Amino acid sequence: MMAPTMPAEYGQWKRYEVFQQAREDAPFANVGSVHAPDPEIAMQNARDVFVRRPQTHSLWVAPANAILSRTAQEVEAMSWPETALPDDGVGEQDGDTFYVFRKTTQRRAMTFVTQAGEVVAPSAMAALQRAVQRFGAEGPTYVWWIVPAEAIFASRPEDAASMFEPAHDKDYRMPTQYRTQTMMRELEEHDGSA
Amino acid sequence: MGLPETAGLDLAGLRAPLREALAQRLLALADDELILAHRNSEWCGHAPILEEDIAFANIAQDELGHAGLWYALLQQLDGSDPDRLVFFRPAEAFRHVRMVELPNGDWAFSMLRQFLFDSYEMLHLQHLAGGAFAPLAQAAAKAHREEIYHLRHTRAWVQRLGLGTAESRRRMQAALDALWPHARQLFRASGSDSLLVEAHIMPSLARLHDAWLEEVVPLLTSSGLNVPQDESRAVQDGREAHTEHLAALLEELQSVARMDPDAVW
Repeated sequence: MMAPTMPAEYGQWKRYEVFQQAREDAPFANVGSVHAPDPEIAMQNARDVFVRRPQTHSLWVAPANAILSRTAQEVEAMSWPETALPDDGVGEQDGDTFYVFRKTTQRRAMTFVTQAGEVVAPSAMAALQRAVQRFGAEGPTYVWWIVPAEAIFASRPEDAASMFEPAHDKDYRMPTQYRTQTMMRELEEHDGSA
Repeated sequence: MGLPETAGLDLAGLRAPLREALAQRLLALADDELILAHRNSEWCGHAPILEEDIAFANIAQDELGHAGLWYALLQQLDGSDPDRLVFFRPAEAFRHVRMVELPNGDWAFSMLRQFLFDSYEMLHLQHLAGGAFAPLAQAAAKAHREEIYHLRHTRAWVQRLGLGTAESRRRMQAALDALWPHARQLFRASGSDSLLVEAHIMPSLARLHDAWLEEVVPLLTSSGLNVPQDESRAVQDGREAHTEHLAALLEELQSVARMDPDAVW
């Protein structure tokens, strides 16, 4: 049990969102989150929690509190500041790079946001505005995530062999591979006939 | 490490004394991994935070997999059945070092034990992977990849706990004081190991010890820990000597199999 005198910052580690890239040319997709005291441990925890099965080419982790997240309804109701109005989407503005993620389907319960692209903008809000303009026409977007590139801690290509390759050699057994159900049925039948 | 002149020895090429020496060494390698994996698995559901619970369960599963590699090689060598060895062998026939059978203690103790063992295993596997007995070299290469990851994880935690709070440092130092004398047993050669070293199948454990010290001492020191200097406390016993903790561990590990020896799963 936690001592009552313990400082609040010891009570809970930061939450990091985890993004997985399945193949070299695939977009990154959010797969869930982990808690960790720092990005390096967050990366290791992400690997342990989300890369037990193939296939992973690369992982990103980013502190959850660095991510701007807005639902479609929130975006709808937003009044954009005049000063941050995006240009026509052709030239790049000055500013930082933000990665844009969209949740594009409600069909499955476990669907998270997937990377749509990137924008350069002076702030996260301006990046969202620009993202809506640039990617909004590609279809319905239920949730927008704007992730500052500088908040992302990425797995290193040279670590891929030790982090992601061993999962290929591990058996993943479906529940049906165990004969438990068959055996239970046989036992029941045996009992019934006795 | 360059390939030794005798590289490419296969099972048929092993003479009887070498075969026996290798069987003994494989049993030691396998038992180390098995017992450590079992201890680590005891953290499942009890680790300080969910993510570390999963990390340690992963490591336990990997070490169990490595044990499986060594038991399978042993089976090729002398026909012994891995399941019989694991589930029906009496405590006195196990050949792991005492360090891995010690109760888990606190998180610092388990983490440091895993770090000291991973550092040893990593170096050992590197040498075994370049060794002359091809089946052993191939198995070592496979296990090595996972060890890189274990070591990265345990090293990161040794640093964080050593340099963390006064309490985490105190616990790490206590763990180091307790484990350091035991770690020496990993590098104690048994009588027939010299045959394997001469045949370039396994590295000299004395030289491995030097390489290990060069790896772990700077990391421990830079993590704010004092490496014990008292050489007289180093455990010099052979691998047949065990503590009273092994019986209880095996009772749990073997209980289900012994309940129904003919069970299939």
